[in-house]
Amino acid sequence: MAHDTEVLVLGGGSTGCGIARDLAMRGLEVTLVERGNLTDGTTGRMHGLLHSGGRYAVSDQASAVECIEENEILREIAGHCVELTGGLFVQRPEDPDDYFREKLEGCRDCDIPARVLSGREAREVEPYLAKDVKRAIQVPDGAVDPFRLCVANAIDAENYGARIETHAEVIDLLRDGDDIYGVTVRHDSGPGKHTHKTPGTTEDITAEYVVNATGAWAGQIGAMADLDVEVRPSKGVMTIMNVRQVDTVINRCRPKGDADIIVPHETTAILGTTDEEVSDPDDYPEEKWEVDMMIDTLSELVPILEEARTIRSFWGVRPLYEPPGRGTKDPTDITRDFFLLDHAERDGVSGMSSIVGGKFTTYRAMAEEISNHVCDQLGVRASCATAKEALPGSENLAVLEEGMDDFGLRSPIARRSKQRLGSRSQEVLETDDPNPVVCQCEGVTRAEVQDAIEQSGSDLNAVRIRTRASMGNCQGGFCCANMANELHPEYDEETTREALDELFQERWKGERHALWGEQLSQAMLNYALHATTMNRDNDPASRTEGVDYGVFDSGAQTASPARSDGGKRTDGGDRADGSRSSSDLRSDGGER
Amino acid sequence: MSDAEQPMDDHVPGEEQGFEPIEVFPEAEDMDLRPGADNCYKCSTCDTNCPVAEVDDEFPGPKFQGPEQWRLKRQEDHDIDESVMKCSNCMRCDSACPSEVPLSQMHNTARAEYVEENMSKLSREYWRNRMLSNYRKLAPLAATFPRTANFVMGLSATQWMGEKVMGIASEREFPEFATQTFRAWWTERGGNDTSRERARAARARRGEETENPHKRIAYFHGCYSNYNTPEVAKALVRVYEHLGYAVMVPEQSCSGTPMFANGMLEDARRAAETNVRELADAIENGADIVASCSSCSMSIRQEYPELFDFEGTEGVAANTWDAVEYLRVHEDLKDELEGTAVDAEFAYHAPCHARNQGLDGQTVEVLSAIDGIDVEDVGDSCSGISGTYGWKEENYETSMKIGEEMFEHMEDAEATTGLTECPTCSMQMGHGTGYEITHTLEVLEAALVD
Ligand SMILES: Cc1cc2nc3c(=O)[nH]c(=O)nc-3n(C[C@H](O)[C@H](O)[C@H](O)COP(=O)(O)OP(=O)(O)OC[C@H]3O[C@@H](n4cnc5c(N)ncnc54)[C@H](O)[C@@H]3O)c2cc1C
Ligand code: SF4
Ligand code: SF4
Repeated sequence: MAHDTEVLVLGGGSTGCGIARDLAMRGLEVTLVERGNLTDGTTGRMHGLLHSGGRYAVSDQASAVECIEENEILREIAGHCVELTGGLFVQRPEDPDDYFREKLEGCRDCDIPARVLSGREAREVEPYLAKDVKRAIQVPDGAVDPFRLCVANAIDAENYGARIETHAEVIDLLRDGDDIYGVTVRHDSGPGKHTHKTPGTTEDITAEYVVNATGAWAGQIGAMADLDVEVRPSKGVMTIMNVRQVDTVINRCRPKGDADIIVPHETTAILGTTDEEVSDPDDYPEEKWEVDMMIDTLSELVPILEEARTIRSFWGVRPLYEPPGRGTKDPTDITRDFFLLDHAERDGVSGMSSIVGGKFTTYRAMAEEISNHVCDQLGVRASCATAKEALPGSENLAVLEEGMDDFGLRSPIARRSKQRLGSRSQEVLETDDPNPVVCQCEGVTRAEVQDAIEQSGSDLNAVRIRTRASMGNCQGGFCCANMANELHPEYDEETTREALDELFQERWKGERHALWGEQLSQAMLNYALHATTMNRDNDPASRTEGVDYGVFDSGAQTASPARSDGGKRTDGGDRADGSRSSSDLRSDGGER
Repeated sequence: MSDAEQPMDDHVPGEEQGFEPIEVFPEAEDMDLRPGADNCYKCSTCDTNCPVAEVDDEFPGPKFQGPEQWRLKRQEDHDIDESVMKCSNCMRCDSACPSEVPLSQMHNTARAEYVEENMSKLSREYWRNRMLSNYRKLAPLAATFPRTANFVMGLSATQWMGEKVMGIASEREFPEFATQTFRAWWTERGGNDTSRERARAARARRGEETENPHKRIAYFHGCYSNYNTPEVAKALVRVYEHLGYAVMVPEQSCSGTPMFANGMLEDARRAAETNVRELADAIENGADIVASCSSCSMSIRQEYPELFDFEGTEGVAANTWDAVEYLRVHEDLKDELEGTAVDAEFAYHAPCHARNQGLDGQTVEVLSAIDGIDVEDVGDSCSGISGTYGWKEENYETSMKIGEEMFEHMEDAEATTGLTECPTCSMQMGHGTGYEITHTLEVLEAALVD
């Protein structure tokens, strides 16, 4: 039977995108389907730590070795997604000395460069560390932008001929006896680039081999073909600070604990995280105490966090997997290793493997191993090149660093734009047209927003993850409308409005968890601004019925029993049309 | 980074018992103000109050220059936008912000970083700015030969040289130097001892306790009233003595205002160190500090504690006053002025730095107690000169554009004499209207002292 594609990859997280790139580079024909945006799952909701391996140097040395190897590779091939911040494992007076020593020995065993700093030296590196920190181990941890990295993988896969379908949810596996030969997907808006409001369609995509890389959702996919994939989703909270209190990754050096890492991420610092098993990766409680605990605990390391402004919090679910029969109770004890479940071997059903577990830092190595497996299955002999070939945006970064061109932008904006775009800077930023700043908090210009729209269509959340626009302290209050404006006239008014609503809702979703102090002021100002300048508290344009202009002339005829307008009110009381589809908070792309 | 020889015992290098890490921010230039950006919720009130942004489209305004730029920065980054040099340091944004964003501290620190990293030490701008901001260093020379200096500065060839060689706007007239500095006058007059005597005599005349250790002030005269307008300084001395205060004139350096504005934070630090030391001494001796120049008092009260942490900085800041403000608080000025008369009309401009200290209303109120006087406030616009800002050829036009509103209002007012507390505002007022400009203390002197 002729198939639509050789390999079909399910899931557009780091794992799926990494596999798609790897296989496409080996010359295979690849299609990837993702139900939301790229990074919509765990990848867009992770901490952003490019592990040096230090974290696993005591508990899981195999992982640690893999981390430091991949850490070094990613710095080379994905320079524009990685910031070489360095990291510190900081010991407070009450933290055990034994563990500190074990950590240091572990790092050395795993060839992770490690150096001991006195408390004072550590505070020279990071002045906001608590005065009483005892000492620290310096390791080459880094910060990584999961959005940019994932998108770069997808772009490169496309460059090698892959088809990437976002907003395409797998609703069924096509199974013929003991063979899986494809999936049925529902397109949110028809195949191709995402446009709001285009009517959805379903499509059967057949393939010689299916790779289930849906992470925490792998069990749900498996169930579509009556396969048991025992993922144990475990949630973790992360809180985003408005500014970087630290420029180095700060880890607490103690055996195990929640809330023990601060990662400087772009303009912000992210506090994390916790580990708690949940039953449904799409529906779990997001609780205030989790955020409070995070801030309180990490303030022991960096006291100014107590007073600092947070701009939002978000949760992610780890796709933890435990081979049958281990019965580990505490999710923190479940291995962070990844597992390749070949359903032919396991369940006697051919044509599909599932990938579960793992971590972001090692996505490339995972993808390599899985791609090897897929090639074996298909009898293809081709070797992996992903460790050597730079991702789009990271070619010739050294040349870029030397380049002084600011493209007519103010220097901090030029600097930030170039950091995001890497070697694509010139192609994107060089323009004869006016290039105003669209998002002031993050310094994103029109040219960059337009470039993202070209890539991803009318989905402003997809624009957001590509550019960081609306991810700063106003959380979209000032810039969402500007971003939506950029869609017009290519997209019509209705599409533009819907895109604006969807983006603004997504921003609000995380900001809800930061409503005190400065961010509360911000939210109030955002509200006032949207209500008074765009009428968004009661926008007549979002009504399905027309506005009854008559009542403006003569005043509301409340006394009149025979109302001709069918009870419509213009004061915002009546919104029966429910035109804001704000309840759909899931399809919102990654967080931050 | 690997360091295999590192001993693996528990000894922490350099961390002896009881060690207290010192000086996290040894230098203001290294100060990390990113957390200051937390307070900004982007309302843009500061932008709408910025006089430079109003007339110069190229200037991004205080919100960008302050919190946004700081937030976009990384610790190691040194890419402060050059537009920071367009900020006149009028500090209006500071008082406009409803959310206590440390705007001028951010501007000052960013400007210092810009100058340090980006401005070539060989460039004309650098030396011009350094010369303008270190005006005090040049002034003594000029004051030694005031007539020659005035003559040379006035020559059109010199002014042309100024513009071409140094970038100083040729439209500006250099301030005239007095034939005798205030300090020379003070010494000649017998210094602190004479003042103590006169104060005692005044107290006796006023029927007060002749010994009153509380009626003691240390005068921070600043550069301009020393070298250029000693009559203002003398007026202060006479008014205070008349009211029974002993005046001391401590050693002092430039307040630093022009240096902050030019990003010469190192120069400012040196000056501030002297000032804090000397003024702290004076406070120790029971004096409060008063200044006749609103930028000097602003600098000591607000900028010193924001930028420096010498021993005593906070105490000096807390005990420094504007000279008229001090009298309003400690004396019953209305009562003192009752029955006095000065026959004059003034067009009054409140300097931005007085406005920032909440002092913009006091002059009109205080002087209204004098018979025959008519003081008209010409509104809350900025004069546009902001210290050395308007002296630079590239800022001249912007500076005059900002000042336009004030010039118009002055011309609309009845009076043909100007009144203000800031020396550079006074130059700008004179430059734009051709009026004589007086200081509030001189009017008080005319009313109180015969
Ligand atoms: C709180 C937290 C913090 C973390 N921090 C770090 C860290 O700092 N460093 C690190 O290296 N790792 C970290 N990790 C781990 C890392 O984030 C994950 O291991 C990694 O992102 C998993 O990627 P993935 O592609 O396997 O899964 P996902 O990113 O979840 O990708 C699966 C995709 O499948 C899609 N999907 C689901 N159902 C369907 C369907 N029916 N049809 C189509 N598509 C579907 C989802 O939308 C999703 O996009 C963290 C994890 C968590 C939870
Ligand atoms: S100090 Fe004055 S000129 Fe500078 S940004 Fe603030 S308001 Fe504008
Ligand atoms: S006035 Fe204050 S809060 Fe408002 S934008 Fe300016 S700095 Fe931010």
